[in-house]
Amino acid sequence: MNETDLAALWAQLGPDARRRARIETRVFGWLEASETPLAGEWLELLKVDPVSGFAFAAVGAVSLGLMSPVGWIIALVLG
Amino acid sequence: MITRGVAAMPFPASWLSSLLKALSTLFGADLEPLEEPAVLALVEQARGGDRAARQRLYRQHVNRVFRTVRGLLRTDAEAEDVTQDAMLTALTSLGRYSPRSGTPFAAWLTAIAVNTARRRFRRRRPELTASGDLPDVPAADADPGDDVDSARQRAALLRAVAELEPREREIVSLRYGAELNAAEIAAQLRLEPGNVRKILERVRARLGERIEALMKSTGVSA
Repeated sequence: MNETDLAALWAQLGPDARRRARIETRVFGWLEASETPLAGEWLELLKVDPVSGFAFAAVGAVSLGLMSPVGWIIALVLG
Repeated sequence: MITRGVAAMPFPASWLSSLLKALSTLFGADLEPLEEPAVLALVEQARGGDRAARQRLYRQHVNRVFRTVRGLLRTDAEAEDVTQDAMLTALTSLGRYSPRSGTPFAAWLTAIAVNTARRRFRRRRPELTASGDLPDVPAADADPGDDVDSARQRAALLRAVAELEPREREIVSLRYGAELNAAEIAAQLRLEPGNVRKILERVRARLGERIEALMKSTGVSA
């Protein structure tokens, strides 16, 4: 067996079309996933809407303000 | 008549070549290997974020990587995993490749592949059955489209390669799988080029004899 014969025989060790397609799908799937900016996704999750934020803060403050007298009245009634 | 006109038209070889090239690209591999300057241009473009260049670079080399690691591992499935890992490592580390070191891109890439295969090889025992017989049926992961003769030739080659010493297996895989020359193999394995040539000559003769014997035992001409 000479150099050319062995080279030709070795060429048969290449992947078949299905296997090649599978490798390519995995490699490029991983690359694309790794290139999605994670920081952007996190900022999107943590993003604060100023209007909603103000509304929540206002409701919270009113609730705190109301809860003390209401609690005092309930305690008095049950008392 | 139109049909007569079409029938009389010569079918240029360039059409067939273009068709084959398009089909090959469509199914994931570049038919014509690029020269080193063109490969280096692709590397530069891919480093700059050009995804098409990266994909072309991948398709230029994926078959070569698979053929190289296939000689070092037990099964096609293992070679698939290692090819995938090696291609990922290479494509995400293109910044580390320096053509000024004199190493061709294919040699750099196959060095990554061989290292990945070595790690896999250390984790698992190499295949070598007590009987050196060829299996009567193709392996489960063999391509059913292969004809029986080529499947047996392939099996005989794999069996003969599996019987080599690990260092010989690496050298022969780099020569015929990665298509590196003796000097490139020597640089990668830190050997003298003259030694690599001697080993290749010896191993080629041994492989030839072994493959022939295996083929005779299964009634297939080499």
